[in-house]
Amino acid sequence: MREIRKGLLLIVPALVIMSLFTVYPLLDGIRMAFTNKHLLKETVQYVGGANFKRILTDEIFWISLYHSVILTVSAVVLQFILGLVLAWTMKQKLPGMNIFKSIIMASWVIPVAATVIMFKFMAQPDIGLINIALKLLGFKNLNRYWLGDLNAALPFIIMLHLWRNVPFYGIAFLAAMQAIPKSYYEAAEIDGASAWRKFLHITLPGIRSMIMVMVTIHVLWTFNNFDFVYLATGGGPVNATDVLPVYVYRQCWTSYTVSYGAAIGTVMLFILMIYFIVYIRIYEKRTGS
Amino acid sequence: MMSSKTRNRAVTAALAYLVVFISLVFFILPILWIIYTSFRTQASIFTGTVFPPLEEFTLENYRTILSVTDFPRYFLNSFQIATLVTLLSLLCSIIGAYGLSRFNIRGKNALIMGIFSTQMFPQVLLIIPLYLIIFHLLLLDRVIGVVLGHIVLVLPFQIWMLKGYFDNISKDIDDSARIDGCSIPQRLIFVVLPIAAPGIMVAAFFSFVVSWGDYLIVSIVSQSQRTATVTLAIQRLSSALLIRWGQVAAATVLTIVPTIILFYFVQNRLVEGLTAGAIKEE
Repeated sequence: MREIRKGLLLIVPALVIMSLFTVYPLLDGIRMAFTNKHLLKETVQYVGGANFKRILTDEIFWISLYHSVILTVSAVVLQFILGLVLAWTMKQKLPGMNIFKSIIMASWVIPVAATVIMFKFMAQPDIGLINIALKLLGFKNLNRYWLGDLNAALPFIIMLHLWRNVPFYGIAFLAAMQAIPKSYYEAAEIDGASAWRKFLHITLPGIRSMIMVMVTIHVLWTFNNFDFVYLATGGGPVNATDVLPVYVYRQCWTSYTVSYGAAIGTVMLFILMIYFIVYIRIYEKRTGS
Repeated sequence: MMSSKTRNRAVTAALAYLVVFISLVFFILPILWIIYTSFRTQASIFTGTVFPPLEEFTLENYRTILSVTDFPRYFLNSFQIATLVTLLSLLCSIIGAYGLSRFNIRGKNALIMGIFSTQMFPQVLLIIPLYLIIFHLLLLDRVIGVVLGHIVLVLPFQIWMLKGYFDNISKDIDDSARIDGCSIPQRLIFVVLPIAAPGIMVAAFFSFVVSWGDYLIVSIVSQSQRTATVTLAIQRLSSALLIRWGQVAAATVLTIVPTIILFYFVQNRLVEGLTAGAIKEE
């Protein structure tokens, strides 16, 4: 019993920090969504659901929500598929594969601000590597600033997410695949199962919990991600890449209407909570616990 | 029969090497390209050629960034902030994760789920009240203010992953140490930590990299050179009216280098450590 009390003591520092600087700010942020707080004005009043009513008719909110959903879904689905391909590749015992494995995650550790600059430079018209390569391949007419193009900017940002995360998925899936007992595959081979069937019935179920964790955490991280879009385009050109986190940031720190920003942030939280609850339900049903 | 099997193997190898080749071009070439660019003159970059004559290569960009601009100062700020964040968050997360892993505290599972679910809190929402807290604590534009913000970013995930890592270390060694009369701190420091060292290295790496790469918190808490970091610096350099791409590239390379060096030390352990919370070993 005394042991347990001492154990409780160990988590107190972390709990205090998280309560004061994570849980309290969250609740305070939600509270602010019901006020008219402006960063440069002294007086604050409760205004009920006025901010949420404003959201309903705010065109930019809906555009941003649409982009956020498109970005999150396509980035996570593509990362999942390409991550599997990469894991399959790295699983092959071939010369050079170990070196490849050890360098491929470099993209994940590089600060997003640096990644954005690297790709902004490559996307420059005339002097950027992408346009130089297109010119060499005979597509000179495609020469443009890719992040400034109405149709190309959002796919380009999805590509930035892929650049950062696909190797992480690949290495994580590989680690999970290597934990599957070899005997499963040997038994399947005796039964004459094809490579595709082995993948479907042994590999995929074997790495299911890793898939679940990677997908969930990346849905949350991508939906909440602020810096890729903010640093690459700021939401432009003309809202073509606006996503909710960037819109919240602009409301708070450019227009100083923090109450409206908080209201949009609260809606974001609400959307992710629904996702999270549904996910846990499915997960518990599958694992039967 | 035999020949079809060897043919299959050759096809597999060819496909795998194709993926390797495409991956190297897509994931590694952009990094090499920015390094390459950092050694070229502005005029050379603007010719739009890939292989310029040798005399167009230069160290001038690095000289300018390191001696004319304030970049060295921002670099030191970043280093100071990331080091403090790493030390303080580790202290907190190691003992917290150890407590969660080794003691049957009531409501433990709900607590762990709660810690994990903080990952869904929008940072842009948290930062509004966090800004006001930091303002009232008189920590705006202070290193400690930025450090506090970064600890908030890393702590929950760090606890979650370290708890998973500790869970995979047998409880028996704790028990035998306890029977030998070791106190809880002794058990943690002398028995568990040495075994968990690889996981702790990854946790340290994680907090350093998140802090080093953060833009959101610094952009709000920092208001002068006193606390500006490398991410703010390269962002400003790259949004100037006339962009000096050679200098931007040099500053970007200097921003990347510390993370790559640290990555070198943890590379093989990285994913194992990060996803320890997801995998339960039998």
